[in-house]
Amino acid sequence: MPLTDVKLNTNCIITEINIKDDKIKLRLMELGMLVGSKLKVTNKSMLKQTLLVIFNSSCFTLKADTAKNILINYV
Amino acid sequence: MYKVLLIGNPNVGKTTLFNKLTYSCEHTGNFHGVTVEDKHKIVKFENKDYDFVDLPGIYSLNCFSFEEEVSRKQILKGDSINLVIADANSLRRNLYLCLQLSEMGQTYKLLINNYDYFVKHGNSLDLKSLNNYFNTAQIIDAKKQKLTKEILTVSKTIVKTPYLQTFLDKLVNKYKLTKQQVLLAFNGENVGLTQQQSDEIKAILPEVVKARYDYIDKILSKCISYNKNFVYGKSKADKLLLNPIIMFVGFLAFFFISIYLIFFLIGPAVSQVLVWLTNFVLINPIMNFLYANVGNVWLIEFFNGGVFNSLTTVLSFLPQVCLLFAFLTILEDSGLISRMAYVFDDFLSIFGLNGKAVYIMLMGLGCNTMSAMASRNMDEKNLKIKTSILNPYISCMARLPIFVLVASALFGAKSYFIVVGLYLLGIAVALILGVILNKTILKNKSRGLLLEFPPLKNIDIKHVGSMIKLNAVDFVKRVFTIILMVGIIVWLLSHTQFNFSYTDDITESILFFFAGKLCFVFAPIGLNNAGILCALIVGILAKELILSIFTISNGVASTSALALTLTASTSLINFTYASAISFLIFALLYSPCISTLAVIKKEAGRFWMWFSLISQLVIAYIISFIVYTALTQGFWLALASVVAISLIVSAIIFMAKKIQHKKCWGCSKCKK
Repeated sequence: MPLTDVKLNTNCIITEINIKDDKIKLRLMELGMLVGSKLKVTNKSMLKQTLLVIFNSSCFTLKADTAKNILINYV
Repeated sequence: MYKVLLIGNPNVGKTTLFNKLTYSCEHTGNFHGVTVEDKHKIVKFENKDYDFVDLPGIYSLNCFSFEEEVSRKQILKGDSINLVIADANSLRRNLYLCLQLSEMGQTYKLLINNYDYFVKHGNSLDLKSLNNYFNTAQIIDAKKQKLTKEILTVSKTIVKTPYLQTFLDKLVNKYKLTKQQVLLAFNGENVGLTQQQSDEIKAILPEVVKARYDYIDKILSKCISYNKNFVYGKSKADKLLLNPIIMFVGFLAFFFISIYLIFFLIGPAVSQVLVWLTNFVLINPIMNFLYANVGNVWLIEFFNGGVFNSLTTVLSFLPQVCLLFAFLTILEDSGLISRMAYVFDDFLSIFGLNGKAVYIMLMGLGCNTMSAMASRNMDEKNLKIKTSILNPYISCMARLPIFVLVASALFGAKSYFIVVGLYLLGIAVALILGVILNKTILKNKSRGLLLEFPPLKNIDIKHVGSMIKLNAVDFVKRVFTIILMVGIIVWLLSHTQFNFSYTDDITESILFFFAGKLCFVFAPIGLNNAGILCALIVGILAKELILSIFTISNGVASTSALALTLTASTSLINFTYASAISFLIFALLYSPCISTLAVIKKEAGRFWMWFSLISQLVIAYIISFIVYTALTQGFWLALASVVAISLIVSAIIFMAKKIQHKKCWGCSKCKK
């Protein structure tokens, strides 16, 4: 099983955020990516590591990098 | 004097409003991070002086990137009239920053921009209800807003933040801290807390963030109605644009076609018209006057050779500069740059960069100094240093006239491929160096790419025009200040002997004497020509000066005449095919100009400035040497050179890794 930092339920609602990097975790929360809010992955980039996600009615890019800092997993 | 701060999230229209309120023409664009430093302009209004300050975009007082720090410092000084510009389309996130300001005891005027787009997409806002909480909020159109008394009227009542009391009570009682200390800690300030206190506040912060958003939701539920399907920044065209193959092929096509149009089709034709006009309106009347009324040959030669020839040579490239900035502005305004950053992020991460480097490199096509400054946009220190020192390898607009002129003179119809090849070589060298730095002394501590997508927009021709004007004025200013000044000094040095007497023969001049002493160093790369060395040395001040020196050295009055002399063996500066290629590669890769070096020093530090200067000189010399050897001595000798140089570089990298573990440059091992 991969280490999963952001968990979503079947309705794309965030159920858990366990990002290790405190600074990026805080920034994402400040942008509105909170437990209970809806998150949708809409696209993956060239090597499928950078994700395009929607939360707080806006589009953001996030990186599911090799260190698994942000790995969004559909549960 | 009253200080007026323009605060807000990135890409909400702060600079657009600043330009309207202060009658300025600062750079604006449809992506995040256009403004990276505070810009000031003093305006007199109703007999009072107002110092308007345009701040870089900031999402939160808990800063994440270096340009946010710039805004934070200004905001926390607390001696200003605060205008918070918010985008109606992402009001929930924009109000988050407003609440943080209120927590810090700041008053502000909330200005809601981009309202038309918001309404057009089926949303509505009840401003009266919003004003029950945010006092004097006002809907504006930043593109049309005028400076009025109303816009500067800020309520003295601080917006209430009732959700905070529980947290304050808990921490103040538990740790005997003051309320101010806790508030500062909540908003990213280091207030001398113990490790335990700091950890507890860090643990509580997510709850504080949630409480802020709960309060915002409570307010917005009373005054806003959203179209549930509305997502700001997302567009139907994204399905096509975010396809990596389409984006990659599209970008390359745009790049090659732009270069062809700018430098080989439209640009030269307009240049000829401009040169004719400059001669007809300005230079010919002055020279005719001098010939008729001044008998001094020296003075006439000074104006002709030292002032006008070098000026017209550089000025003739003004149309190309304008076209280049038109293409860059179209990319910026359309919203494509953020899409490119997203698509290329994975690819660039192979080279130790991230997607944001795309628009820093694109800015580098215009001016390396500006793009070195934009490296502030990076979220992480090593990434910022790396971007700022790799960016000068991208050919800026000042180097392009040199490429076009020398390549056209020597290679005729093939010059387009030579120029495109130089661009690609610069990018390739930057990427390879990025890999080496990432593996050795500048390893990324990856935080990934966090970037907001702006909506795709139609191109506003008026705005493209104003950006062309802004950059054209800047270019002309440079020509009439530094280029003219240094051109005159170089002309004097190239026409003065050691006994301070005037000479027509440049080989007898002071400049030629000193440049001649360096020729042996450049002989292995085919540039053992004092005139070329003079041009390269002076080019460190500003790259445009290289063509000025060519004009002065060969004693010609136009770019077409200069092109003819570059192939004539009787000219002071002349090239063979091999030496021309070697020169073009050296001019592409050698030292950045002095203003770029100053910015690298400011952004990355003195060490990295020297690193950038020396590494570029060494790399330029090595690559020119290999190419020149291959062209003149054959493939096998060049291959032997590559092998020998690779061994030396590997040894240097090995030593750098060793040194890294003795002296810390930020790696985790040393910190332990």
